[in-house]
Amino acid sequence: MVELMRFILIDRVISLEAGREIKTVKNVSLAEEYLADHFPVFPVLPGVLLLEGLVESASWLVRETENFAHSMILLEQARNVKYKSFLAPGGQIEYTVTAKTIEENVSSFAGFGSSNGEQIVEAKFALRHFNLADEDSGMAAVDAKIIENMKQRWKLLW
Amino acid sequence: MAMSRDEIFGEVQEVLVDALGVDDDEVTSGATLMGDLGAESIDFLDIVFRLEKAFGIKIPREELFPAESLMNNPEFVNNGKLTEIGLGELREKMPHTDLAGFENDPDINKLGDLFTVGAIVNYVEGKLNSA
Amino acid sequence: MRWIWIDKFVEFHSGQRAVAIKNVTLAEEHLHDHFPGFPVMPETLCIEAMAQTAGILVGEAKNFEEKVILAKIKKAAFFDYVKPGDTIKLEAKIESITDEAASTTGRISCDGKLVAEIDLMFSHIDKNLAGKEFPQENFVFTDTFKSLMRGAAFNS
Repeated sequence: MVELMRFILIDRVISLEAGREIKTVKNVSLAEEYLADHFPVFPVLPGVLLLEGLVESASWLVRETENFAHSMILLEQARNVKYKSFLAPGGQIEYTVTAKTIEENVSSFAGFGSSNGEQIVEAKFALRHFNLADEDSGMAAVDAKIIENMKQRWKLLW
Repeated sequence: MAMSRDEIFGEVQEVLVDALGVDDDEVTSGATLMGDLGAESIDFLDIVFRLEKAFGIKIPREELFPAESLMNNPEFVNNGKLTEIGLGELREKMPHTDLAGFENDPDINKLGDLFTVGAIVNYVEGKLNSA
Repeated sequence: MRWIWIDKFVEFHSGQRAVAIKNVTLAEEHLHDHFPGFPVMPETLCIEAMAQTAGILVGEAKNFEEKVILAKIKKAAFFDYVKPGDTIKLEAKIESITDEAASTTGRISCDGKLVAEIDLMFSHIDKNLAGKEFPQENFVFTDTFKSLMRGAAFNS
């Protein structure tokens, strides 16, 4: 029977300056199933999940800063995402994400992740934030449910 | 293909802005790729591919950024500095670069400083003129 | 969660371009976290799907002898989101390829609509990353990936 894996790529927020910067950490453990495929005999956190850690960190900065105004926060663009080293089970990565701009429906960031003083990843990226009700007012209840869920998840992280 | 040096510089600038995510005004002739613009190994490969596409030329990586083979050869390096033979190799491989300053203190850690935007423009100009 | 983000190749032109598809289904656990009540395929996993499509294209060009890994995301731009029930089409092209690295361009579409444009760089790690240690055998291209190739419409 397959275990239920959660798609949450950060574990804790260690500092937050609304509108400006957030620092988070993620532990890497062999308990994370996809490591068995990535790669066999050489488990390392997949590069896109390092980017996801940066995206989630930025998303939380947006949610806090805009007081959970929007339900949907999605990656709109990523550029010059560089992978400099590998992150193995037993390791921990600290993400630092700095906001360049945070507007009502778009925001842009520069971020990097390091582990034990070693640079692992860096990226420039932009998010878009919106409510489903913006297009379809019938979706307001779905927005509310997502936002409530995110607020609960936030309590685990910060 | 007769491009003026200014036109070449403009294209090189665009390549570096895209490859490195830096601003136009950071890409000056004297800017070093590694120190000033934050380029790393994978970026050097990205830059070579983009320059090939932008100018329609073939760039053997060793020609534009010959550092690796120099640094790993014991004939060329002694105590962290390039030997005379090593300097000779460098002069031969990088005719597009001004080596005067480096020759005074051929510290291999400073090899990266040779890779300036201007050196790339010189290299491309040379390639286009000999085409 | 298996780490395979494409389902099959529908076209494969060795050394040039390939087209794969991926079905998005509610049976995928991670969708229920992203987001609860309105599941959409995370953009970073769309990037991975493209990385696998393009990575296999690059790897096959060297007979899977090189360990090909994602080194840089040059650009990934998203124009729409993807939902359960959608089938996305991933088209990847090799732009440049040498002994050390490869550069690819790609687009993801769904029902003819553009979802994303994703340009990547892959590194052949035995030729790069001096000083980092990793095992000799090709752990990147396992049988799971190679089996995706069977049944693809091969053209050379």
